[in-house]
Amino acid sequence: MITEQAWLLAAVPAGMFVVLAIFGRFLPRQGDYLGVAAIGTSFVLMLIVAANFLQHRGGVGPWRNDFEWSNVGDFRLRMGIFIDPITIVMFGVVTTVSLMVNIFSIGYMKGEPRYYWFFAVLQLFAASMLMLVMADNLLLLYISWELVGVCSFLLIGFYWEKRSATEAAKKAFITTRIGDVGLLIGIILLWREAGTFNIEKIIEFAQNGGYSQAYLFVAMFSIFLGAMGKSAQVPFHVWLPDAMEGPTPVSALIHAATMVVAGVYLVARLTPLFEVADGMMLVIVIVGLTTALLSGFMALAQTDIKKVLAYSTVGQLGFMFVALGAGEPQIAMFHLMTHAFLKSLLFLGSGSVIHATHHNQELDKLGGLWKKMPITGTTFLIGSLALAGLPPLDAFWSKDEIFVGLADAWGAWAVIILGLAAVTTAFYATRLFIRTFMGKPLDDHVYEHTHESGFAMTFPLIVLAALAVVSGLVIFNGVGQALGFPGGITEFIYLPEEGPARYAIDWGFATASLGMAVVGIFSGAWLYWRGSLEKSTALARFQPGVYDMLRNKFYFDEMYQYAVDRVVLGLSFVVSWFDRYVVNDTGVDGSAQVTGYTGFILKYLQTGKVPNYAMAIALGVVGLAVAGLVVRG
Amino acid sequence: MDQRDYTIFIPEFIAAGSALAIIGLELFFPKIRRDIPAYLTALAALAWGIAGAFYIGKDPNNFQGLVQSDNYTTFFRLLAASIVFVTALMSASYMRERTKTAAEYYGLLLLAGCGLVYMAAARELITAYISLELLSFCLYILVGFLKRDSLSSEASLKYILLGAFSSAMLLYGISIIYGVTNSTGYDQIAVQLAQRSGDTDGAVIVGFVLILAGVGFKVSAAPFHMWAPDAYEGAPLPITGFLSTLSKAAGFALFVRLFTAAFQVDAPEWRWAVAFLAAATMVIGNLIAIQQSSLKRLVAYSSIGQVGYMLVVIAAIGYGDQELGRNASSALLLHIGGYVVSTLALFAALTAYYNRTGKDTIVGLRGLAETQPLLAMVITVSLFSFAGLPFFAGFATKLIMFQSATTDGLLWLVGLAVVNSFISLYYYLMVIRQMYLFEPEGGLTRFRPSPLLGALAGVLMLGVVFIGVYPTALYKAADRATETLYQQAPTGAVQAP
Repeated sequence: MITEQAWLLAAVPAGMFVVLAIFGRFLPRQGDYLGVAAIGTSFVLMLIVAANFLQHRGGVGPWRNDFEWSNVGDFRLRMGIFIDPITIVMFGVVTTVSLMVNIFSIGYMKGEPRYYWFFAVLQLFAASMLMLVMADNLLLLYISWELVGVCSFLLIGFYWEKRSATEAAKKAFITTRIGDVGLLIGIILLWREAGTFNIEKIIEFAQNGGYSQAYLFVAMFSIFLGAMGKSAQVPFHVWLPDAMEGPTPVSALIHAATMVVAGVYLVARLTPLFEVADGMMLVIVIVGLTTALLSGFMALAQTDIKKVLAYSTVGQLGFMFVALGAGEPQIAMFHLMTHAFLKSLLFLGSGSVIHATHHNQELDKLGGLWKKMPITGTTFLIGSLALAGLPPLDAFWSKDEIFVGLADAWGAWAVIILGLAAVTTAFYATRLFIRTFMGKPLDDHVYEHTHESGFAMTFPLIVLAALAVVSGLVIFNGVGQALGFPGGITEFIYLPEEGPARYAIDWGFATASLGMAVVGIFSGAWLYWRGSLEKSTALARFQPGVYDMLRNKFYFDEMYQYAVDRVVLGLSFVVSWFDRYVVNDTGVDGSAQVTGYTGFILKYLQTGKVPNYAMAIALGVVGLAVAGLVVRG
Repeated sequence: MDQRDYTIFIPEFIAAGSALAIIGLELFFPKIRRDIPAYLTALAALAWGIAGAFYIGKDPNNFQGLVQSDNYTTFFRLLAASIVFVTALMSASYMRERTKTAAEYYGLLLLAGCGLVYMAAARELITAYISLELLSFCLYILVGFLKRDSLSSEASLKYILLGAFSSAMLLYGISIIYGVTNSTGYDQIAVQLAQRSGDTDGAVIVGFVLILAGVGFKVSAAPFHMWAPDAYEGAPLPITGFLSTLSKAAGFALFVRLFTAAFQVDAPEWRWAVAFLAAATMVIGNLIAIQQSSLKRLVAYSSIGQVGYMLVVIAAIGYGDQELGRNASSALLLHIGGYVVSTLALFAALTAYYNRTGKDTIVGLRGLAETQPLLAMVITVSLFSFAGLPFFAGFATKLIMFQSATTDGLLWLVGLAVVNSFISLYYYLMVIRQMYLFEPEGGLTRFRPSPLLGALAGVLMLGVVFIGVYPTALYKAADRATETLYQQAPTGAVQAP
């Protein structure tokens, strides 16, 4: 069956990475068309696999294809792929957005140094991301997880020459790796009891009560740390806004649509385990709510067009975690999909603006671009409204479902918090659009030189805008039936045992949801329409403290800086100080030379180190022996 | 069975004989080009390895119960031959430029290798001790071989003094164990320790601790590690690589055989100490490494950190049963293999760089990615391997090692090891950052490494990736090597000397 050969999806771009990395610079146009072709192939393969999957659905169940990687001693390990509806959805999102971003990059990255390298890493990223979502065992998942992290690192730091870019890359890498420690520990803990890395088997093992409650909680909490790091949840969110130092297409692909949702994917994939671990769902929902709310506020005070979008991404990821915490992974996946389309649209739109205005991304210098850039403007408007949650655009449906699920699982308090987050979302989406495209141009010089972007850049915008309009509709039974998954997308992903049910709109929530969007949009429009700056700076004047706090993003960075300085470097300093002054380890400093070569051994000993070293050894031995006699005796 | 089976010594006869021949060669032909002995040594190591390969899979055999020839010995024999082979080639141009007489240097490389083999093969404490001293004496001289370099001499002297100190401890420990068990043979010791009544015996604990200190010194486990950074820094660059591969492999070869065959029965008396050493070693090594500015010292501390991970396995031998001990030992051998290949790759690249530029600080590597991309890539790959990133040897071997060493009593230690290996990424990245993110000092001048070193570094780098992607091949070898660890010596009683 073709579905079992889905590994080809990842193999094609992986091969292209090697080709481009080695030969890219010698090819005409540095091989950008090859990159697009490889991703295009993956996209076509995705369509074939999805069609094949839908055709045989129900009869065969999940598809597997694995091989033995290691079989010696007690270490047996099979590696392979596993295709189920969640994988199919991720396939669709990753290949579609990747393809669009690759096409967009042809226009956007034109003339940049290391053009071939950019495309090469995009291929590697696509390959690892696709591998991540079809891995059937936690080890392969972890490897791909690290690989996408490396790609993200490479692409954030793409402009090596800029110090801020390398700093941001480092920050992203270190922050996510802190989470990754948790992930690896969690994986080892799960493996230890179950004796396998295979995801299905671990889930089966847990459901049969193989793990004790406390043990499973610790393991799943550790894994969740990994998801939080990758998906930039509070307090690990600090790296994502900085990651905007990377080229804008990268922000669209990696830091909005695909890599950052890996955490959501991971939790969705392991939902049965999280459900068994008592208390984890509450942790997830609280993290999600906190993130959604805080990031909404932080987005309000940003003046960099990409940073607004970055905080918005953090917030929408929070929405997805809320859905996961409500025990509705299918809704989280649905929101993941709708958000991927609209957010990559917004990022590419902002990229188009940045490109057109010669790398200007400060809102204070933009404004009034609508007339100059009609296509970008229109598609950006669609994206903003979708983000705000206006029906029938895609995020309306998924956001609405999240509210329904949340009310079911956790009740009113959670809904109110998330509602507030939804209003802020609509508000800053409106603010962003108006300050970029409406009103009078704030900087005439920038405005003069602006022009609509070329076809390579507008084409992806149009495609993604169309997706942002229609992709939400797949929740309906009718649409699903026509496309081959009766019951709509959520039933397709989840598929309860009693068979697909029809999706029905919960009118109460739909109205409330619409209300939130409208409140946010209108208050935003009232404040920012026609560039009335006085009103928009009202907060800064009346509550400078609050405004400063928002602008400084609740001082998270400062707190981290403090903690890192004090704890890690402090500890390291203390230990090396001890080594240097107490044990006097200043290294081989040539002090022997001072004494000349005529000296006796005693003279060398006067360097003061050897006796100290010997003393350390002796103390070590005595200490151990005494400890042994005390402990054992 | 023949008690005096001299055939098991044939490979080392070849190695030691070649060593003497090479030293003699320069005696008779003093005008010989300084790098000829290097190539001859590489050939001798090759012959040694080939002779060793004939012993793969042969039935275990021993010499009067003192020295055992089995797959375990063969594993380390091949490892020693490979290390000597690579180090000899690495040293060729390095030593040629810096000394007038180099033949002893190469002879000592081979003899040090023999020391490693008999540390692995010994089934008796005195034999083990003598082999250890054979290795140590060779290393003392090699570290100080650049006689006109005061750093080298000073490092060597420190190493000798502290080495003598720790040897005394080891001997004292051996004599205490002999006093308790009335034997120095591993098998007899195991029997006697098993018969000992369950009460804690102070003498046994002190004996174990002293032996731990003596061997711990060789592998530079904290708090016996302080000689290592100085010796690494002062030694000629290829010898730094030699120290961090051969000396560590030798220490663990002795550790594993001794602690499985002789001491495992009395594990409760020593396992906590090993666990403590492991924890202290990895924490100290990794934390101090962060503060280093000299590349050699950084490598020294990072290798101390690596030793901490390896000691986890020795602790696991104490905390687990025999099956776990055997699996963990196999995994340790695998890890040592991966570690040796990564380290040699790193040092081949560093030597190639040093030969051209004379720089050995971290900052000195600035812009290497521009001036010499191949070397930068080799260094990056081996550092990533140390840090345990996927697709490189360190990830697979460390993963297999930690998973096989995980027992209930040691969960905390394995957790600590994982955290430590994440910390280590920080300082490895500092080095990589210098190579990739900074402009080279003094403008962009590309250079080529010597073809030999370039090829060597490239091949070793491929080895790192191969082990990372497909560790099974090496693991199988390691697994066969540990088959006989827990078995009694094939022929009867051992006479106490």
